[in-house]
Amino acid sequence: MIFLKSFFSREVLIYSKKSSNVISPVIFFLICIAFFPLAISNDPKELSRLAPGLIWICILLAGMLSIQTIFKEDYDDGSLDLFYVRRFSMLQVVLIKIFVNWIFTALPLILLSCSMVFLLYFPLEKLLNLIGSLFIGTLIISFFGALAGALSLGRNSILASAIMLPLSLPVLILGSSASTYSSENITFFILLLLALLFFSVPIISIACIGAIRLHYE
Amino acid sequence: MNKILGSITLFYHKLGSYPWFYSISSKLLPISTFLAFMIFLLGIVWGIFYSPSDVTQGEIYRIIYMHVPAASVAQSIYFSLAIAGFVYLVWKMKMAGLFIKAMAPIGASFTILALVSGAIWGQPTWGTWWVWDARLTSTLVLLLFYLAIIGLYSSFDNKKTADQAVSILAMVGAVNLPIIKKSVDWWNTLHQPSSIRIFEESTISSEMLYPLLICILSFYLMVFVFGLMAMRTEIAKREMTKDWFKKMVKKND
Repeated sequence: MIFLKSFFSREVLIYSKKSSNVISPVIFFLICIAFFPLAISNDPKELSRLAPGLIWICILLAGMLSIQTIFKEDYDDGSLDLFYVRRFSMLQVVLIKIFVNWIFTALPLILLSCSMVFLLYFPLEKLLNLIGSLFIGTLIISFFGALAGALSLGRNSILASAIMLPLSLPVLILGSSASTYSSENITFFILLLLALLFFSVPIISIACIGAIRLHYE
Repeated sequence: MNKILGSITLFYHKLGSYPWFYSISSKLLPISTFLAFMIFLLGIVWGIFYSPSDVTQGEIYRIIYMHVPAASVAQSIYFSLAIAGFVYLVWKMKMAGLFIKAMAPIGASFTILALVSGAIWGQPTWGTWWVWDARLTSTLVLLLFYLAIIGLYSSFDNKKTADQAVSILAMVGAVNLPIIKKSVDWWNTLHQPSSIRIFEESTISSEMLYPLLICILSFYLMVFVFGLMAMRTEIAKREMTKDWFKKMVKKND
């Protein structure tokens, strides 16, 4: 328990000291969103039709940025070695790291998506659908991102994205459908997303541990 | 019963040895190449010259004899990669890791073949090269998975680490692939107006079915041949400096 608590506060401390990891996805997300109307059209009708898809694509792409922050810095400065050698429970390490990473990189984006009601004329009555699906969807994406990051530790980041993005395809489909279609179907999408979450958490965290281990053999 | 089990175990242990595999594959290779080629010839000639033409599509449907086998092989190879990944991670059988490395480019090529032949088939029948249909989209995603495996493998210098990494990725991908397929299917029913009906009645007359089945069989044999060749090349690359390999090369000279 003590380990859990101190490890959690360590992670939080790292993210709050190194704010670039938190800010860069936000900047990226805003730039992406801002450039879409410039590239497509400024017609409110068309934009509000495209908005759910655009938001989800941008969230996914912003998720690529945080792949590198989950394990890479600890791997580079050797603290991941220590966690591994000291036989801390790697499952706890992995889960806490993913969760804290989600809090600091995905939550700001979810909050920011509320502003899309103004920027992309996202229909207000579907905002709850969007936020709900984003909450679950980004958590799943964080897990896939962690796996991609762990597999490609010390390699180039394009490779990590090439691993993460195809895996996240169901999340993209379910999430953007949840925020596109009318609110009576919302429970259906949310349940499917939750099912995907509960399905991928154990599998991906075990795979993550395996992926970290292979760098130390 | 014990005897059968024992021989299976023995076979399994033999399968993990590079020299045994190298020598047995050199015997298997000519026979299987010949078989694959003959059966392919039989299927293609039967399909192109001796099967009836389709009522609605005319002669163009004959691309089915390339397209369907390629698509079927492309999916099967991916699941064989996942099984090999499981074997590698659980029993540390080095041949399984080598199998993934050798088979991934072959699978990717067959996926590309399926996509391209499908596009060529689609142009005259649907009037377009590409439709965002469920099958096409999930085949495209399959190609992405193959490319991710190939890319991940090539990013490691240490072969053992690379084998382990791609084993994990192949397994996770195989678990995820049915989910992707399901979600794409389901996305398709939401978005696609049913203006294009891709598969009409799935009853195919036996005169068309038999050559198709022969073609599918020949594609699997072809994969077997290509796989053997690729694995032999990979063994040669990894074991170039080992004694048994040098001795064997000397003996053959």
